Amino acid sequence: MKICTVLKQVPDAEASIRTSGSGVDLAGVTFVMDGMDEYGVEEAIRLREAGHTAEIFTLALGPRRFEEAIRTSLAIGCDRAIHIETDEALDVITQARVLADAVKKEGADLVFVGGKEADWDSSALGPALAEALGWTHLDWTTKFVLTGTTIEATHDTDAGNETVKLSLPAVITTQQGLNEPRYPTLPNIMKAKRKELRKATLADYAAHAPLTKIASEAIQVKARLNKILSGEGPETAKQLITLLRDEAKVI
Amino acid sequence: MILLVSELNAGKLRPSAREIVTAARALSAIGDEIHALLLGPGAAAAATEMAGYVSHVHFCEDAGYEPFKADVWTAAVAKTAADLGAKAVILSASRSGLSYAPRVAIRLGAGLLEDVIEVESDGATVGAKRFTYLSRVTESIRSLGLPVVISVKVNILSPADPAAGAGQVATIALPIDEAANRVEVLSQAKASTGGVSLDEASIVVTGGRGMGGSEGFTKLIEPLAGCVGAAVGATRAVVDAGWRPYSDQVGQTGKSVAPNVYIAIGVSGAVQHLSGMNRSKTIVAINKDKDAPIFKVADYGVVGDLNDVVPELIKLLKL
Amino acid sequence: MNFDLSPEQKEMQRMARQFAAERIIPNAAKWDREESYPAEFVKEAADLGLLNITIPEEYGGLGLGLVEEVLIGEELGYACMGFDTIILASDLAIVPIKIAGNDEQKKRFFPLLHTGLGAFCLSEADNGSDAGALKTRAEFAGDDVVLNGTKMWITNGGVAALYVVFARMETEHKHTGTVAIVVPADVPGISHNKLHGKMGQRCSYTAEMIFENVRVPRANILGEPGDGFKIAMKTLDRTRITVAAGSVGVARRALEESVKYAKTRHAFNQPIANFQAIQFKLADIKMGLDTSRLQTLYAAWLVDNNRSHGQASAIAKCRASDVAFAAAGEAIQIHGGYGYMNDFPVEKLLRDVKLNQIYEGTNEIQRVVIARSLLK
Repeated sequence: MKICTVLKQVPDAEASIRTSGSGVDLAGVTFVMDGMDEYGVEEAIRLREAGHTAEIFTLALGPRRFEEAIRTSLAIGCDRAIHIETDEALDVITQARVLADAVKKEGADLVFVGGKEADWDSSALGPALAEALGWTHLDWTTKFVLTGTTIEATHDTDAGNETVKLSLPAVITTQQGLNEPRYPTLPNIMKAKRKELRKATLADYAAHAPLTKIASEAIQVKARLNKILSGEGPETAKQLITLLRDEAKVI
Repeated sequence: MILLVSELNAGKLRPSAREIVTAARALSAIGDEIHALLLGPGAAAAATEMAGYVSHVHFCEDAGYEPFKADVWTAAVAKTAADLGAKAVILSASRSGLSYAPRVAIRLGAGLLEDVIEVESDGATVGAKRFTYLSRVTESIRSLGLPVVISVKVNILSPADPAAGAGQVATIALPIDEAANRVEVLSQAKASTGGVSLDEASIVVTGGRGMGGSEGFTKLIEPLAGCVGAAVGATRAVVDAGWRPYSDQVGQTGKSVAPNVYIAIGVSGAVQHLSGMNRSKTIVAINKDKDAPIFKVADYGVVGDLNDVVPELIKLLKL
Repeated sequence: MNFDLSPEQKEMQRMARQFAAERIIPNAAKWDREESYPAEFVKEAADLGLLNITIPEEYGGLGLGLVEEVLIGEELGYACMGFDTIILASDLAIVPIKIAGNDEQKKRFFPLLHTGLGAFCLSEADNGSDAGALKTRAEFAGDDVVLNGTKMWITNGGVAALYVVFARMETEHKHTGTVAIVVPADVPGISHNKLHGKMGQRCSYTAEMIFENVRVPRANILGEPGDGFKIAMKTLDRTRITVAAGSVGVARRALEESVKYAKTRHAFNQPIANFQAIQFKLADIKMGLDTSRLQTLYAAWLVDNNRSHGQASAIAKCRASDVAFAAAGEAIQIHGGYGYMNDFPVEKLLRDVKLNQIYEGTNEIQRVVIARSLLK
């Protein structure tokens, strides 16, 4: 079996985001592997530890700096990596098509993708990739069991959650709750040095015209009243109710 | 023409059905003809209601559309959009919507405008606004052509008023392609939000680590939510600790909500949490740490012990 | 010249930083308050490979250098200087074996340090910096050597798997008469008293070590009898670079906490960061931080490349710990009344980092070392 873990490198959640001109300025920002993708890497490694014979490869599409996140995945335990290096901010649908081509070329039975990207706040990559591959997908997965080629999994839905059964090949989008991602150990960081990190370019895959473009980005600001009450519990509670009823008129 | 896909909840139109009508009307440069598609049991009855807002309603009562399955919905929506020659497909960015919209876009060769809060069109392209970087940035995004698939963030756009005349209602044959039905649902569990869905609730009461344990929710959060008809939310720390199920989680890894009132109790306000609630119209925070980041986004804040303040709130609201 | 870290070094730094943020920082105040030794977390660090990284590969170690150790040390020191000391003091037992041990000794002793801590027993109640004035005695008895004496302020004493003990041999001249002996923790006759009431670094386990008729084979002597003092000094020449690294971490923490506080704390209707009195303090900390980090990495690089490093390591240790102590003091000043309370992490930085000016050769001794190398 071959398992593919797709990953992105995104600004650390604690990093403060600035804009310059009409776009986000990421200069000086600390980048990390998208936390949502870590669950996929961890799950792939756990499948192998649970006895599935699997080659695990990392697939990433993005600028040179993604290399660090890719190396992290190798240090955690992925066997090799393909980095399609580009500075173009391709839209998610076009990304999915390029990645689908790469997955087909490498051959894979199971693909893990983070449930929601911490930079674009997008949860489209997994479903779009599955569609481009002609596979089914399961999103927001919190429990995953693979027996042979059959998956039994639990995922979040609008109403709550559901447990489903499906077969490989499939794209699984991962989220918190699925597992507890491990740290790469120092010995594994050193071993990862010898693992293959293959560089590719968009020209190596079928060309697709972009469908959307980002026109501008601006820091979101919403002015808040910041009325802070302090004092004895009963008194502040009374003041709060009055404010919500008479000033905000919301209850 | 524009195709809307309106979601049903237990056979009834979801409130978001009228919000996506608002989005469709904002795209009149593409065309005034708005069609709506309704799938699943209850579609016929809901279609009559929907006809008050759009020119055409197509419905298919096939029970195979309930519960939601991305594969099955993708096939039906993409086929309908292609057959009707839709220039834009609009649906609401619920969990289900976010799950199949990208697939429809791939199938139609369309651009995807995901989880948008505003749309406009010049007739040849569609522009939209959406949040990025954990909801800290507003991005303006533009399609490079048509068609487009648009998912609209829930609870942001105001619900549309009825149109002048009633639209036509007709059934549509969309038999389920069994080959495409690749996911079998074994069981379902409802979230514990007291019957009020987190996405659509007009008031959300969220408890954080400061609740101290699951009993903090049963003794304080649930009764308070009950007083004001609110949904119950939780932070990541809380669901990680197992005090509440993951489905209650609000934030980057959970649900993104924008209710009229968001009441955060014992919540410190990590960026990941703020990204899921900072569009709420009014934010109330109760926390004993006066420096907690949650107070920066709060309209009304109470610095104090939640064990003193919340029981008092419940008492006053019950009067 | 190249200031870039290798991809592996960046990855180690990232992992250490994440471990520090998620596992150490949330617990450090509690360890400090309770003066408790975090055994479980030391094991976690060991499982991640953060412990004893400089053991050569041919003896089953990772074979990493001091540069890597400095990178990790900064991250651990940032989170809790006491925890950093536990991990890095172990090096004090590795280095003597590395520089003076023979192949047989390395094969025998390094495996004990794959997951266990080492400890360095030099200081005594009546002598610290004057390492030549040892009172602990080593007597030869056939093929064995018998140790008697008491060591003071021993980091990891009582929790280590292995001790490198420095002792005086009978009748010989003070410095040339010292011997370095490896003593595994399970040898009979070793006991310890945990020292309580430390000002800072309260989670690191510090003990008085008592050696009472402790008998080990002569084959446990590192180098020749009489090499002890030289081995101790050579060891400290290297290991004090890790003290510098921890100090850099403390200074960085002081700066980051201060910047965060200065931006949010308001006075006279504006953030206090607007005031130059605050800005100058921040700028001074930053200058000290960056220059001491460069010197620390430089000294580590000299060691890794087998260059003469005694002076550079003394400069790094002295400079970085002085900078960090000053930075912690200014961080408290910037925090005002809050800084003086243990609700904020900055007062702990000051208490912790005071020790960095004292142990592994006081900063006065470092200045002597630097001056001597200028005047010789």
